[in-house]
Amino acid sequence: SGELYCSLPNPKNVRFESINMKNVLHWSAPEGTGDGVLYKVKYAVYGVGKWIRKPECRNINRTWCDLSSETSDYEEQYYASVKAFLNGTCSDWMETTRFNPLTDTKIDPPMVSVSSTDRSISIILTAPEKWKRSPEEESISLLQVYPGLQYNVSVLNKKTKKRWLFSISNHTLIVPWLEPGTAYCVSAQIHVTTPLLDSGFSKEHCITTLKDK
Amino acid sequence: KTFHFGACRVSMSLAEIRAGFTAIKANIQSRDPIRTLSILSHPHSLHKVKSADRCCIAHQLLTFYVDKVFKHCRTEDSFVNRKISSIANSFLSARRRLGQCREQNNCACGEESTEKFKQILANYEGLNVTSAAMKSLGELDILLDWMEKSR
Repeated sequence: SGELYCSLPNPKNVRFESINMKNVLHWSAPEGTGDGVLYKVKYAVYGVGKWIRKPECRNINRTWCDLSSETSDYEEQYYASVKAFLNGTCSDWMETTRFNPLTDTKIDPPMVSVSSTDRSISIILTAPEKWKRSPEEESISLLQVYPGLQYNVSVLNKKTKKRWLFSISNHTLIVPWLEPGTAYCVSAQIHVTTPLLDSGFSKEHCITTLKDK
Repeated sequence: KTFHFGACRVSMSLAEIRAGFTAIKANIQSRDPIRTLSILSHPHSLHKVKSADRCCIAHQLLTFYVDKVFKHCRTEDSFVNRKISSIANSFLSARRRLGQCREQNNCACGEESTEKFKQILANYEGLNVTSAAMKSLGELDILLDWMEKSR
C-alpha cells in the first residue's frame, strides 16, 4: 500500500475498553519514541472482507479512538488495528483480539431510588442504557439487550448493622417489617448470568423510615 | 435454564458452557488468523432465523459442532482440551434432548434455515478441516449469543 519500510516500534496493548457498549479503542505509545508520534486506526467486522479506515482517528497524537458508532451492532464481532508514524517511518499494524460487544462490555450499576413509610422501604431500580450516538436516538435499556438481567440489592440497617441481600428480576422491591424511625442504606448491582456480567454496586442511598404514628 | 427452539424446549447449562468457552476463547481465537471469513455469521446471520425454523437449525448446529468441530480441535494444551471436551459433552446431551423433541414435534426445516445451514457447511468446507474446526470453535460465542436470545 505504498507505505514505507516500517522500523518504528509497535504500539502496545491495543484493546477495546467498553462500558455499556461505548466501545473505545485504547493503546500505549511505542517504547522509547517520546513526543511527536502520530497514529491511524482501522477496524473490521469479523467475517467481512475489508478493513475500514476511521477518518476521525487519522494522524492523531492521542492514544485512544472512539469506535462506538462503528461497533454498535452487538450481533457482530470486530477487530481494530493501530499503526504509528514518526519522522517518516512507521510501525506495523497492531491488532486487538476479537471483540464481542455483548460479552466484552462492562456494565454500570443500576440507578436506585428509594422511598419509605414507617415500616417499609420501596426501591425502584433502573438499568443503564446502551450507548447511543446522540440524545435524540432511541434509548435501548441493557434490560432489552440482556433478557436474563437481574438485580442484587443490599439493604443495611444502620443501627443494628444487619444487612439483607435480595436477588430480583423485577425492577421494584418493597422491604416490609422494618423498624420505624430507623436509617436504612440501599445499594444495588446488576447481575447477568449468561454471558456472565456483573456491574459494581451502586453508591448507597440512605433513608430513614417514618416515626411510628 | 430452559431454551425455546420453536416447538421444542431444552434445558441447557449455557452458563457452564459459556464459562468454559470464555476460559479458552483467547487461546482458540488466536489460532484463527482469518479475519475475513466467518463460519456462522456471514453472509447469513443466525440472528435473522425465523422462530419457526429455530428448532431445526439449533439441532443442525448442535450436530455440526458434535460431528465436525469438537473432534478436530485437539491442541497441545491439556487445559484447553479439557474445556473443549466438557463443552462437547454438554452439546451431546443437548443434542440428544433436542433430537427427541424434534422427532415428537416434527420440527420443520424451512427453506430459509436449510439454505442458511448449507451456507454454514459451505463456509466450513472452504477451509481445511483443522482450520475450519478451530474457526468454528472460536465462534462458539456467536452460537451461544443466538441461543440465549431464545430464553
